[in-house]
Amino acid sequence: MISGNLKKEFENLLGEKNVMGDEVTRMNYAYDAAVLDPVMPALVLRPDSSEQLGAAIRLCGEHGVPATVRGAGTNLSGGTIPYKNGVVILTNAMNKIIEINEVDMYAIVQPGVVTADFAAAVAAKGLFYPPDPGSMKVSTLAGNVAENAGGLRGLKYGVTKDYVMGMDFFDVEGNLIKTGSKTVKGVTGFNVSGLMIASEGCLGVFNEITLKLIPPPRASKCMMAIYDSVAEATESVAAIIAAKIVPCTLEFMDNFTIRAVEDYAKVGLPLDAKALLLIEVDGHPAEVADDAAKVEEICKKYNARDIHVAKDEAEKNKVWEARRAALSALAKLKPTLVLEDATVPRSKIPDMVSGLDVVAAKYGLSIGTFGHAGDGNLHPTILCDRRDEKEWHKVETAVKDIFDLALGMGGTLSGEHGIGIAKAGFMAQEVGEQSLSYFRKIKKAVDPKGILNPGKVIGD
Amino acid sequence: MDLTRRALSALKKIYGKERLKTSLEDRVCYAYDARNMTCTPDAVVFPTSAEDISQTLALAHASGFPVVPRGSGTGTTGGSVAVDGGVILVTTLMNRILEIDTDNFTAEVEPGVITGDFHRAVEAKGLFYPPDPSSAGVSTLGGNVAECAGGPRAVKYGVTRDYVLGVEAVLPTGEIIRTGVRTAKGVVGYDLTRLLVGSEGTLAVVTRILLKLLPLPAATATLKVSFRSMEEAAEAVTRIIASGTLPRCVEYMDEASIVCAQSIADLDLPEGCRSILLIEVDGSSSEVLTSLATVTGIVTEAGAMAVEEARNDDEAKRLWTVRKKVSPALYLFGPDKINEDIVVPRSAIPQMVKKIEALKKEYGLPMVSFGHAGDGNIHFNVMIDKKDPVQRLRADAVIDEIFDHTLALGGTLSGEHGVGITKRDYIGKEIGEKELELMRGIKKLFDPKGILNPSKIF
Repeated sequence: MISGNLKKEFENLLGEKNVMGDEVTRMNYAYDAAVLDPVMPALVLRPDSSEQLGAAIRLCGEHGVPATVRGAGTNLSGGTIPYKNGVVILTNAMNKIIEINEVDMYAIVQPGVVTADFAAAVAAKGLFYPPDPGSMKVSTLAGNVAENAGGLRGLKYGVTKDYVMGMDFFDVEGNLIKTGSKTVKGVTGFNVSGLMIASEGCLGVFNEITLKLIPPPRASKCMMAIYDSVAEATESVAAIIAAKIVPCTLEFMDNFTIRAVEDYAKVGLPLDAKALLLIEVDGHPAEVADDAAKVEEICKKYNARDIHVAKDEAEKNKVWEARRAALSALAKLKPTLVLEDATVPRSKIPDMVSGLDVVAAKYGLSIGTFGHAGDGNLHPTILCDRRDEKEWHKVETAVKDIFDLALGMGGTLSGEHGIGIAKAGFMAQEVGEQSLSYFRKIKKAVDPKGILNPGKVIGD
Repeated sequence: MDLTRRALSALKKIYGKERLKTSLEDRVCYAYDARNMTCTPDAVVFPTSAEDISQTLALAHASGFPVVPRGSGTGTTGGSVAVDGGVILVTTLMNRILEIDTDNFTAEVEPGVITGDFHRAVEAKGLFYPPDPSSAGVSTLGGNVAECAGGPRAVKYGVTRDYVLGVEAVLPTGEIIRTGVRTAKGVVGYDLTRLLVGSEGTLAVVTRILLKLLPLPAATATLKVSFRSMEEAAEAVTRIIASGTLPRCVEYMDEASIVCAQSIADLDLPEGCRSILLIEVDGSSSEVLTSLATVTGIVTEAGAMAVEEARNDDEAKRLWTVRKKVSPALYLFGPDKINEDIVVPRSAIPQMVKKIEALKKEYGLPMVSFGHAGDGNIHFNVMIDKKDPVQRLRADAVIDEIFDHTLALGGTLSGEHGVGITKRDYIGKEIGEKELELMRGIKKLFDPKGILNPSKIF
């Protein structure tokens, strides 16, 4: 437990209103977007400057208090669920964009900047920050970096790690560690910032992050291809890539998801379609025209029943809103939604989709599948009721089957959601005991007392 | 240190007679790299499998002799030199391209594959591996990964670390680990891949590399642009980047490097030309045409004396060959070369150029700079005669000033060559004590006995 004295120290440091110990507040920060049991933190801290953040970490380190840093809590693997008797440290009071450098094309941000706000600020200066996780309207940039968030544009533009040039972070003693550079190239010393990305808050606490920006594409074209067969839709995906076209986005939705989205968002999706693909190509205007024509041709060859090209920006936005609504739409159908993000080499997408059908039939479960088909990152979503013990047991077994499927195809447990608590138990299966023991050694070296987000990634 | 007889006979068991070299003649061949400092190793071994390397490192860990991994020895910072003696482990026999997956745009290779051979193999399948260090014709992919090699195309396509999806590697204790994924996304566990890339062979020996590929751009075009001054050229680069058209290469040469280039081939430059830019654009054919027009407009407005497009592939190739041969031609100006690869934010290139001009006047030594203007990576060279102690002292002072100025402009000491031995004494200028302590901690964790490539970086 946290002693009265230590609480007083936190209050002296952060001010009384930024040290919250009441039950309602603590309950609010006991869970995140993962389907896992909540854990009540002992205190919730809200530093509003680098100095306060560093001092708070130092105090936690000195007193052996587990600390879980939390952005917007949109995490899908339990990475922001606190540790018993630990504290939650909120970053939402540190949400300034410190610099957007147009000439050298980088930006420096505080951890709590909301992803979409940042993307908009960058766009206003005529530049482009590509990573666009589904939750970007609420998620924070530091959370994105901690999880290495992906998004719809991953296929062409890569993921968060491809845009992190460097950062400074607090180690468990509260020392500020600087890594990376503001330059495109840089190989001075070990690539510590590379190690920090995707480390899920287990190795350090981000203070300021330097992000790479790029010139925006000059043109884009968006289309929806509608199919009467799932196999033909997924084969189109493989054929588009094999034709060496890299669309910026290539999304898949099955019939179950189509119906859920239409019911929720009323955007005019074809309810009887077995599957649809949402495809956007971008780049130079001439290239966009060429690529769009080739994509249409391929979709037709694989018997797309209808191909609808968005006429203007408004229509395009409507299509993408529908896609972004998928998760919320599915979530409304049943009390519990289990969202997986097992990822396979993209040529294996057709096999993965048919494999998921087999799993759904085997356990009699409803699985809606949608996601980033272009980069092999599907989001099979199981709808259930966790209170129904028998059904929940089936769900857990089905999830194991899905992991086996993905790993059997040379895939990975998680493309962008991270391991957190939810998948910590499955780590050895993918990476092997030797690699896992290395992860543990690294953790132990930088955080010997296990203060920083304990229990995540490598287990307890 | 010398190898014990027992260690040597254990090595013989692993490698047999053919793949273990102990004669002086053989050892001298592996005593130096492109840094040109000599340390003769005690033995040279040529592994053909991860198991060979695993046994070698386990043996080194147990008996305490240094092991220094080496590809083709093109490193410019002494990274593959056996400073503390021991065994040089040469990866050139592990040179198979194991797979080029045209469905998923990935390739799996052994570390000894020559970068240029790999380029040709993937391009024959319509795919593209962008990193192109100047030594690509001889350098190995394992060496590229260890140093995080860059090259002219980095301005648009990034550097080696942007293309490494995962590796199989042998740790200094002999354990074999696998990192990364075959998929486009993946966030399972800590990202050891990114930690190993650029660690200069001090944390692990990479035995298999999984690389990301891109579709090969349909068209490319090369422009040679002449300027009256380096300042004008630098200003033109800033304007091109700000325009939103991102060429795949923007290389510059200053007056002294033009002299070197002209010694290789006639570049046919206008009278009074003191700086040139080589610019390459790529993309679909129509995109290349419009990009060429945009770039031509910008450089003309920035005061270019002449803008010429390479008429055909051969001419473009010739221009690039000349650019790549500037570095070896520098010896025109002196018998010894001190070569740095500082990086500044690209908008600061004009300031750096001014500083170099001032240093030339102040110290009276021949200085040549050229490099990747598009990403701010400047190859700065001071030519001296090392036998002259006064010149050596002056050169040291120049390097000190260059590094201080680089850091003051928000830059970094090394863009792509690494720290190795040559920048070890300077690393503290850029990286703080706490950060160094963390890096030493990581090194100790991987290599508790310090047997893998010792005395490098720190």
